[in-house]
Amino acid sequence: MNRYPVWLDCDAGVDDAIALMALHALPELDLLGISAVCGNASLKNTYRNVHRLNGLLGAHYPVYRGADRPLFRELHVSTAFHGQDGLGDVDLPEPPHEDRPESAWDALYACAKAHPGKLQLVATGPLTNLAIAFAKYRELPKLLGRILIMGGSASAGNITPAAEFNIYDDPEAASVVFQAGVPLVMCGLDVTLKALLRPDDWDELAAEGTRAGVFVRECLRPAWKFLQGMGFDGVPMHDACPVLYLAHPELFRGEMAGVRVETRGEITLGKTVTDLYSDKQVEDKNALVVLDVDRDGFIAVLKDCVRKLG
Amino acid sequence: MQNKPIPVLLDGDPGHDDAIAWTLARASGRLRVLAVTSVCGNQTIEKTTYNARRVCTLIGLDVPVGRGRPRPLLEKPMNAPSVHGESGLDGPALPEPAMAESELGACELMAKALRESPEPVTIVATGPLTNVAALLMAHPELKARIARISLMGGGIGFGNWTPAAEFNILVDPEAAKYVFSAGVPILMAGLDVTEKALIFPEDFRRIGELHNPVADIVAQWLEFFYIFHKSIGYEGAPMHDPCAVMALLHPEIFTMRPLAVEIETTGEYCRGATVGDVYGVTGRAPNATCLLGVDRAAFADYLVEAMKFYGEDKA
Repeated sequence: MNRYPVWLDCDAGVDDAIALMALHALPELDLLGISAVCGNASLKNTYRNVHRLNGLLGAHYPVYRGADRPLFRELHVSTAFHGQDGLGDVDLPEPPHEDRPESAWDALYACAKAHPGKLQLVATGPLTNLAIAFAKYRELPKLLGRILIMGGSASAGNITPAAEFNIYDDPEAASVVFQAGVPLVMCGLDVTLKALLRPDDWDELAAEGTRAGVFVRECLRPAWKFLQGMGFDGVPMHDACPVLYLAHPELFRGEMAGVRVETRGEITLGKTVTDLYSDKQVEDKNALVVLDVDRDGFIAVLKDCVRKLG
Repeated sequence: MQNKPIPVLLDGDPGHDDAIAWTLARASGRLRVLAVTSVCGNQTIEKTTYNARRVCTLIGLDVPVGRGRPRPLLEKPMNAPSVHGESGLDGPALPEPAMAESELGACELMAKALRESPEPVTIVATGPLTNVAALLMAHPELKARIARISLMGGGIGFGNWTPAAEFNILVDPEAAKYVFSAGVPILMAGLDVTEKALIFPEDFRRIGELHNPVADIVAQWLEFFYIFHKSIGYEGAPMHDPCAVMALLHPEIFTMRPLAVEIETTGEYCRGATVGDVYGVTGRAPNATCLLGVDRAAFADYLVEAMKFYGEDKA
């Protein structure tokens, strides 16, 4: 099988954790390294959480520290959804590990250079690390195969009425990434809110008694408590969307569109302005905007991944 | 069904779809038009005022017509000749205005009508919100005299003139911001619904077959509007402005959702966006009832049916 070389940049994060589980399990994907960024939680926590997930998976992916704050703005973490530790406050120890001195951007660049034109960069947090990498390495865009992000929305937002959390957290970084000239797949709220894992799904996985299955149920507790109050009937697998898109694009539907990030609006800061319908189409269609997913097919793949981890 | 007619003020920038909206309002028998006011938008204030008088003459609407400001509150005027032509109402020949323009400007005329009406009045605003904002700024004491503002403008999901903004709001975002934060109930017909309220050739043919002088012209306006929109990829002619009238006459054919809506007046890409709190993240109370969907066939049938008011072919 021709496997995609993949880099994961994440702010783990419970849905980042599930995305990583899928990345580890899917035979189509070959994960080469992970960089942590602040977002759902502080960098200290997201970096630690990636190591904890390495432990859960019995894996030894190299982990790198990235930015501990957005380029220009204050960090907003999301404890209501991800728990105090960013990982649902589950009991998961941090295994002994090597502390790598290279930064996220240097490690990402080195990896891209080793796989020129091939590397699939999956980014499931704010895009700060990527923006810094593009700022530092002008040849990086042509070394990357594709960027697949969880972030943004073609219509409404979830942190403000106009903006989605990952983009809102560092809108300037997002703007750099959307203008980098690398083929981009945007899994925004349009699709991720449809990729719902429901209570019967995680109960089924947990009942199988595997470590991974139980972890899924446990880590989603705070998120589920938070979302139930908002009328959701499951937890959106936001960050798993770009990972599953990579391995199973046939489960998704998207359209090419011009996407720009608003960095100057008073109430639209961080909006991914998506030109799907206007009469004056933006000429440069810079992103594949993923709009829909076969939810049942998606959940079936995700469950298989969790089962495979044991 | 209400028996008592709803008193309304028609404020718009005709414009084909404004003209069709007014023709529908006049025909329904359920709305009592108190006055008509013009605003600059689709064309200059001279042209939209002239068009307003011509349309009123065509449909036998004998009410005062007041002229609005020559420009938006802060912005330079922006027109849409690509959509409505140089006259703002290109297509069939129209009668010359039979009535003089009111001595009162748009804002004063609206204020007078609100003061004199025994019941609260619905403002049907189908252009930029310049006049309505002026009214609310100058006469806050009259807010209670306004039943609601039924407006065509904005889009919760997307824009048309820019990816983020719809034309009427983009022309005068500050006016829109004032109106949306004034505390007066708003019924918002944005692109979410108006681009679903499509009229197809078979619909305007049915109108043409009524063979009355108004229906003949409405059918030609619709054809003009259809040809333009088809050329830019639409399936039919979107009935933007008529939605703001139809929603008063037949609310049951629309799906609606109350939302907290704010207007962006800044931004590199988002000036003029109507930002709706779709996922309830602000906890703010809704200030607008947003029309999001419509039974298209029922909409077309009601429009055709209304045009019988102007006479049916007995031949």
